[in-house]
Amino acid sequence: MHRGRPLAGLLNNPVVPSVIRYAPELVEYIDVIPDRLWYDFEHGEAIGSRFHRVTGAIEELKECAVGRVLGGHGIGLSLPSAIPIDMAMVAEVASIAHELNLQWFSEHLSTFLVSHGSVPNSQAGLGLPVPYDEETLQIIKSKLAILKNALGCDLLLENGAVFTPVPDTEMSEPEFLNRLHAEAGCGTLLDLHNLYVGLVNGVLSPVEYLEQLNPECVQEIHLAGGHELAGFYTDSHSNLTPQEVWSWAYHYGPRFRNLRAIVFEFHESYLEKLGLQGIAGELERIRDLAEHVASGVSESAAAAHVS
Amino acid sequence: MDPGILRERYHLSEREYERLVKMVNHRAMALNCMLYRANRLAPIALNLHEFCVLLGTRLGPLLTEYSLSYPHTNVHFYLECDRFCRFVLSKVNEGYYLEPETRAAFDEEHSKIQLGLAASYTVI
Repeated sequence: MHRGRPLAGLLNNPVVPSVIRYAPELVEYIDVIPDRLWYDFEHGEAIGSRFHRVTGAIEELKECAVGRVLGGHGIGLSLPSAIPIDMAMVAEVASIAHELNLQWFSEHLSTFLVSHGSVPNSQAGLGLPVPYDEETLQIIKSKLAILKNALGCDLLLENGAVFTPVPDTEMSEPEFLNRLHAEAGCGTLLDLHNLYVGLVNGVLSPVEYLEQLNPECVQEIHLAGGHELAGFYTDSHSNLTPQEVWSWAYHYGPRFRNLRAIVFEFHESYLEKLGLQGIAGELERIRDLAEHVASGVSESAAAAHVS
Repeated sequence: MDPGILRERYHLSEREYERLVKMVNHRAMALNCMLYRANRLAPIALNLHEFCVLLGTRLGPLLTEYSLSYPHTNVHFYLECDRFCRFVLSKVNEGYYLEPETRAAFDEEHSKIQLGLAASYTVI
């Protein structure tokens, strides 16, 4: 029995307000990236505090939030990194979470930061793969406890787009997510397009992955489209969602009894290419998918939605 | 590159070493490097677009020199861009030539970056 129909939503970016003005009834949920709502003066001359808010963007977001549900989607905490969590950033995330009434908060199952003293550049600039070992599990669990205490809401971790997976790990990624759910109460933000990236680049089997993942973990789904770069397929958020990704969503979605939102991700630089109409079309398909998930339609009926 | 450099730089278990060697030799490692460079370039390309276009083939070597001189990325885009601009100005003072049109584009875009940086101080 589903808790209710999952909400249809968008990952926030500077042009999402334009989409909302174009099709207000289609956007029920907004995934907020708090890192895009502040200027971080950690490595600069700060006047006052380290974090300075992007006040215009926050006010515009508050207007868009009326009648909608907001959740958080952070990128800067780098939870799997074996370095201490940035407590100043945790405090800033918590402050924004409370100000915007974020209902749940997700981060990435990827590392973005490495130790300042060990390598020349402490900011990797992209999500790096994680070794799914017991040691990493304990690192993440301890940081999740800190984050949960600060935010007071449910936490999710998102599977990343991995190009060079860490070999010979103690667990598979779904097993790792299952353990986080069982032992730390951490849900999964299932990025189905990132599984597609892995499939196209020959590093994982999405069907095996989805069969292994505990469906109770999944609380949010991300959909997106990408493009080819140097012979590889990337998660560039530059396109509409591939048909194969939709087929997985329809097939497995009814199993996700705790699913709260289905989100389309696009980068603002591709608005002209996708068009407001194209994005609205994705949201309409998401609404249809959400109804399908809520009705708990059988797998044979799901096949009828694939075409 | 000799994988022995890993042991010179880091204290690694055998499992960590073997993993890193396999990952470095993975065919997609070049893509990781490409994405890293693209993400490092992104704020400069966004805020100094005309300057980058007008530099043409001179942009690559300039960026390489900049990233070697300043290996620590600043996540505050305007700080990162302003630092790059000051780097360019120091090179110009040392004789690095910019065509008039390129210099004009640089000056205009640098001014906008400085305005953006000033505006980002929203908390006193």
